[in-house]
Amino acid sequence: MEEQRLITLENIHKEYDGVTVLDNINLYIRKKEFVTLLGPSGCGKTTTLRIIGGFENADSGRVIFDGHDISGIPPYKRRVNTVFQKYALFPHLNVKDNIAFGLKLKKIPKDEIARRVDYMLDLVNLKGFGKRSVDSLSGGQQQRIAIARALVNEPEVLLLDEPLGALDLKLRKGMQLELKSMQQRLGITFLYVTHDQEEALTMSDTIVVMNGGKILQIGTPKSIYDEPNNAFVANFIGESNIFPGIMVHDELAHFCGGDFPCVDSGFGEDQPVDVVIRPEDVLLVGEDVGQVTGVIKSVLFKGVHYEMMIDAGHSTWKVHSTTMQPEGSRVGLAVVPFNIHIMHPMENAQPREEEAQ
Amino acid sequence: MTDFHVPVWGYWMMGLGFAAFVALLISYIHKNRGFRRPIFASPYVLWIIVFTVIPCLLVAYFSFTDPQGNFTFDNFKNFWDSNFNARKAMDPELIRQYEDMGLTLNDLGLSRDSINIDTLVFSLWMAFLCTVICLLLGYPAAHIMADREFKLGPTLVILFIVPMWMNFLLRTIAMMSLLEDNGLINSVLEMIGVGRQKLLNNLAAVQLGMVYNFLPFMVFPIYNVLNKMDYKLSEAAMDLGCDKWQTFYKVTLPLSVPGVVSGITMVFMPAVTTFYISRLLGGGKVQLFGDLIEAKFLSTSLNEWNVGSALSLIMMILILASLGLLRKVDPEGEGGGIV
Repeated sequence: MEEQRLITLENIHKEYDGVTVLDNINLYIRKKEFVTLLGPSGCGKTTTLRIIGGFENADSGRVIFDGHDISGIPPYKRRVNTVFQKYALFPHLNVKDNIAFGLKLKKIPKDEIARRVDYMLDLVNLKGFGKRSVDSLSGGQQQRIAIARALVNEPEVLLLDEPLGALDLKLRKGMQLELKSMQQRLGITFLYVTHDQEEALTMSDTIVVMNGGKILQIGTPKSIYDEPNNAFVANFIGESNIFPGIMVHDELAHFCGGDFPCVDSGFGEDQPVDVVIRPEDVLLVGEDVGQVTGVIKSVLFKGVHYEMMIDAGHSTWKVHSTTMQPEGSRVGLAVVPFNIHIMHPMENAQPREEEAQ
Repeated sequence: MTDFHVPVWGYWMMGLGFAAFVALLISYIHKNRGFRRPIFASPYVLWIIVFTVIPCLLVAYFSFTDPQGNFTFDNFKNFWDSNFNARKAMDPELIRQYEDMGLTLNDLGLSRDSINIDTLVFSLWMAFLCTVICLLLGYPAAHIMADREFKLGPTLVILFIVPMWMNFLLRTIAMMSLLEDNGLINSVLEMIGVGRQKLLNNLAAVQLGMVYNFLPFMVFPIYNVLNKMDYKLSEAAMDLGCDKWQTFYKVTLPLSVPGVVSGITMVFMPAVTTFYISRLLGGGKVQLFGDLIEAKFLSTSLNEWNVGSALSLIMMILILASLGLLRKVDPEGEGGGIV
């Protein structure tokens, strides 16, 4: 596996005016991998991207690219290209010259530039747009040109800084699939920055969840969704019910006034824990057969499902179900052991993480 | 008490001007709150008519008439033959008599010279030099001020603005006392052993005064454009393989063209019509086209007004032409507006 690592970040630390924005970031990216940095704004994901692109320098730590330390090397000497958040297309050049910009600098013969630009225009479905001015293009078209302008240089890594943020929902969804298939076809490593968890889940091979300048969890979309490390990740990736509870012993948790068998172990006996349950994993059953009983407080129609808020065991449960129960009715709630996720409580999790480093 | 009083109509005019200014402010503040701007604009329109449109029409009228008010193109002939009107005013018979006595037209002060056109060409040359120097000094200054990394940028902007709050005449007189034979600069030169130099009353002093006065008009349009430019564009250029220098001439420079054009126009126009700076710093030895026009209007002989008007009109056409050029390059006025 070691030789597949294209980029390695080692102990990256960065401060702006005394405020820590990146706190000891360690991360590696494999060749041809689609990695997404996911987190709320201000979590340090864009700064991480800019450090890899060469636009910022880390205060300490190393960036290893293909076995060489590239910290301090200017952007124009790095074998990466960036798709900027607001595209940053050159307004004084037409579409063709924008795409050809990097190739012209490399003194590539004219006919080859023309060939590669045409290929790129074809790839991003904008054949025949070469002579247009970039201002005359729609947001989605500008987006494609920005991608073409970066990809035409055949970078080893493409850095994408919230490239779909300015597009409307429908266009965004279409572009997500297009980007993913482009990445697979070209075999280029993508490092993608977004705050949209759905986007991250759709496109990524690996998701890196960040918050407050730290990496909270690295994993495949499925593992991050199914096995969040802590309450923040659970909450950020999809919707969650998070309850304080007690781990009675291995594979038995007590919360919301009920005992729930689960599959987690190794937390010790009678230890405080956080329990995470996805709204769609709560089953509505008869009042007499539920693990706990509750009263339905509100019902919202959400299209595919109903979202019900249910009071049970001094807590409010958010439940997604395709069948509706009337407001005020009493129901039983059940969760299969596999869908109960036990985590160390947030405040305990932090110091432990630092000890490990 | 002085011998000069503001005439009664002067107070009316000032009142009118103030009203126009207040009306402008109010109409700006209440742009979309039901006030009808045309009403508030009327004092301003009146102001423009009285002090801009009518004088312009008068200039046009004078330049196409003789002192008696008859239509003529003769005033424009003075442009390339500076004594045309003076010669015409004299009895040709008298001139012939003088010539018979062995006096030349030159002796009579009626020579067929082209002082006016020469002065204009010289003024254009001085203005051109001034513009080039301002551009060479101003672009780097604007670039430094607009640099995101440079923390003192905003301070520099203030330092450039503050001198502009002072009347340009005061600044020029201050410059004069700096350059004097016994001025500050000469004292310093003597102290360090270089010795006193003749700094005042020459072309270089006039040029220095022009550059000093007009430099901000170059710096700020360029600064505005550079400051508004998305820094991500430079980053994108670097990302695609440009080093610092390539980033500048492939992206920054082409995108700052509107500011440069605006700056060039805003320096060149006042520079070509300069008239007081040349007198103060040139010691009367350097005459620019502006000085020439001024002299025509201050002249005691009446018909010089007509010649002065004709010369002014030529100047105005030049300025309008350059304004038109500016509109072509920078239609949104992006580079315009000081600060």
